[in-house]
Order: sequence, then C-alpha cells, then structure tokens
Amino acid sequence: MTSVKMTSANPASFRLNLFKISWLDWLLASLLWLLALLFVAGLVHIVSVFALPELAQKDAYSRLSALTQPGQLSLLPAALPGQEYAPFEDPALVQGVCLYDLDRGPLELSADIIGDGLLTFSFRTRTGRVFYSMTDKAASHGKIDVLILTPKQLEAVEADDDEEELPQELRLTAPEKKGFVLINALAAFPSERANIEALVKSMNCEILSETNK
Amino acid sequence: MAILIKSCFVVVLGTLLGLALTFISLERGFGFGAVRAGPWTGWPKTGSADIDPYARALLSRTGAIPLGTGEGISFLARADSDGAPLNPRCEYVIKGPMPPARFWTLSVFTPNGALIENAAKRYGFTSAEILRASDAPAEIILASTAHPGNWLPTSPTSPYVVVLRLYDSVLSATAASLDSSVMPKLVKGFCR
Repeated sequence: MTSVKMTSANPASFRLNLFKISWLDWLLASLLWLLALLFVAGLVHIVSVFALPELAQKDAYSRLSALTQPGQLSLLPAALPGQEYAPFEDPALVQGVCLYDLDRGPLELSADIIGDGLLTFSFRTRTGRVFYSMTDKAASHGKIDVLILTPKQLEAVEADDDEEELPQELRLTAPEKKGFVLINALAAFPSERANIEALVKSMNCEILSETNK
Repeated sequence: MAILIKSCFVVVLGTLLGLALTFISLERGFGFGAVRAGPWTGWPKTGSADIDPYARALLSRTGAIPLGTGEGISFLARADSDGAPLNPRCEYVIKGPMPPARFWTLSVFTPNGALIENAAKRYGFTSAEILRASDAPAEIILASTAHPGNWLPTSPTSPYVVVLRLYDSVLSATAASLDSSVMPKLVKGFCR
C-alpha cells in the first residue's frame, strides 16, 4: 500500500489515525443506517395509523349491515352484559340505526318530536366518523326532516326548488356514498323504555328515487 | 451483499418498530385532543369531522361509537380524585356539581367497555332517576354491596371505569379546557 509509506514516519501514530478514521466512518455509517431505520419505522407507523380504519375487518357499516339494510330503520339490541353491540354503550339509550347508500338514491329521515325526552341524531360515514350531529332542538314545527345526498343529488334537488319557498328540510351532503344515521333516545327511567322504543320505531327512513340522475 | 443484508434488516426492523409504535399508541388510548378535569378525561373532537387519525384508528379497532359533538360529550374516569386508580375492592362516592346539561348519565364498565353483571340489574343512572336530598347535590355510591340511596353496583373482582355522559350540553362545543370545579368528585371510601 502506497499510502502507508507516505504517512508511516511514526507507525504508532499512523495506526491511531487509521483507527480514528475508521471509527468515524463506522459511526457515520451506523448513523445513516439508524436514520434509515427511523425513517422506515416512522413511515410504517404513519401509514398503519391511517390505514387501520380502512383495513378494519368489519367497519361500522358492514357490522350494521348484518342487522338492517339501507332505507330501513332498525333498533340496536339493548345494552345488557354480554350482549353489548359496541363497547361503552350507554345502557340508558334506545338506539336506532338507518343505513344509507347514496348510489341507490338520497336518504330521507323524518321524525315527529313528541314529548320532551332527549333525542339525538348523528350522521356518520362508513367507518363511523361523524359529519353532522344534533339534538331534537333542531326540530322545526315539531318535526325533524333531513335529506342526505351527494353534492350532485343536492344540485338536482335544488334545481327543482320553488324559488319563493325556503326548503323545509335540512339537507346534508355526505362525504362518502355509504354511511349511517344513528338515533339516540334516552329512556330517563327503565319503565319508559318500551315507549321510547316505540317512538324510535315510529321514525321514518326512506331511500328517495332519483328523478334526474 | 453486506449492504443488501443490512437494508433488509433495516426494512424488517423498521416495519416491526413502526407497527409496535402504532400498537403502543393505540393501547395507551386516545393521544390527542384529550380534555382533563380532575379524574375525568373527555375527547370532544372524536365526535366531529376533525377527529384525529389516532382516535379514528382506535375507534375502528374497538368498534366504539362516540357521541357526536352536537349530541353531547362523554368523560371517562380510571382513577379517583386523588389520582389513585379505581380499586374494585373499594367503595367510591361521586359527589359535587354536575356540569350543565339537559340530561346526564353515569355508568360503570370494564376497562374494555363491557357492562358488569349484577343482581340488581343496574348498570347506570340517568339524571332523572337520581334521588336527591332536598338541598344537596346528588351523590352516587359505587360499591359491590348494597347501599341505600343511589347505589351503582360494581364487582369486587372486576376492574372498572366510570363513564359520565352529558347530553345536549354546551360543554361539548366549548370543552377545549375544563375547570375541575365544574365536574363531580370521585372520592374513595371504605376498602375491604
């Protein structure tokens, strides 16, 4: 090796230098590998967090599909030990669910608000993400009337609107084609449960046929 | 060749590390947007469109359906007001003011969110059911043996958490930070 001859005036210090350089090399190389490792780990972490809701074996919509079908209002089973539909369900609630599939047409939810019991509504995507929620206080003239549609369906509906009259219903554009409406009704006393169940059952969910697609 | 082996090693180890990080962060519960007041923790953003990705991933794993922001807000307590984890062999009293809400409910679950079987078939209280002394705030007793008053049965063998739900409450929209004085206290009593 030629370089050895050039710098080998003092063999001991040369060896020390060589050791220093290779040590630094080793350090830099490992640092690079460590950075690569952290990069891969970070990437996998972020991707997996975002992918989990999409990859979930059974998202909320497909789990609910086992109980009901789009355009039909169904009650969820009452929360009892061993029979909970979902974890941390409030045992005091009566829950109704209504699936929508906007490919089949907009969904109309209508309910008469009777009495002063608590009713809440949440409008959710396939994975259960809430895009709108409200209580019975949003009722006008004792009625809740909601239309869930795609932006395109909304345009079609608006084109048919009477210009002089404001629309009576609440119109919500859903971020996804499939999702569900969850209706929560509080049975303030266990003895009220049957009445509250009847109240939720009396609400109406309907897929509207599209006139102009 | 050495570089190829090292690269494979980095990819495999990095993937494992990343997945472990995901697993740990989901095991530890909702990371962001938590609001704490005394023993109570709430996640107001999980019920809105700007739910964070960790909460979404966790909900998709557990299947829990959180309240929408317009419906109300729920709070979870895993510890008492002194910060000691809830011990299934101890009795607790929940007392003090309840935040303003049209209705509230208080229920007991296992840490995984299952109801706890009990002979009294009582799994929670609603604000309408509570028996109150004429001029005192409501008190709810969590105990495994029967008590007079508002007794919420627990099991001496099953660890539990307490969930307080406020329906139709102004808190759900404004709960960016909470003063613990508006929330009820969870006070430890007799332990067997």
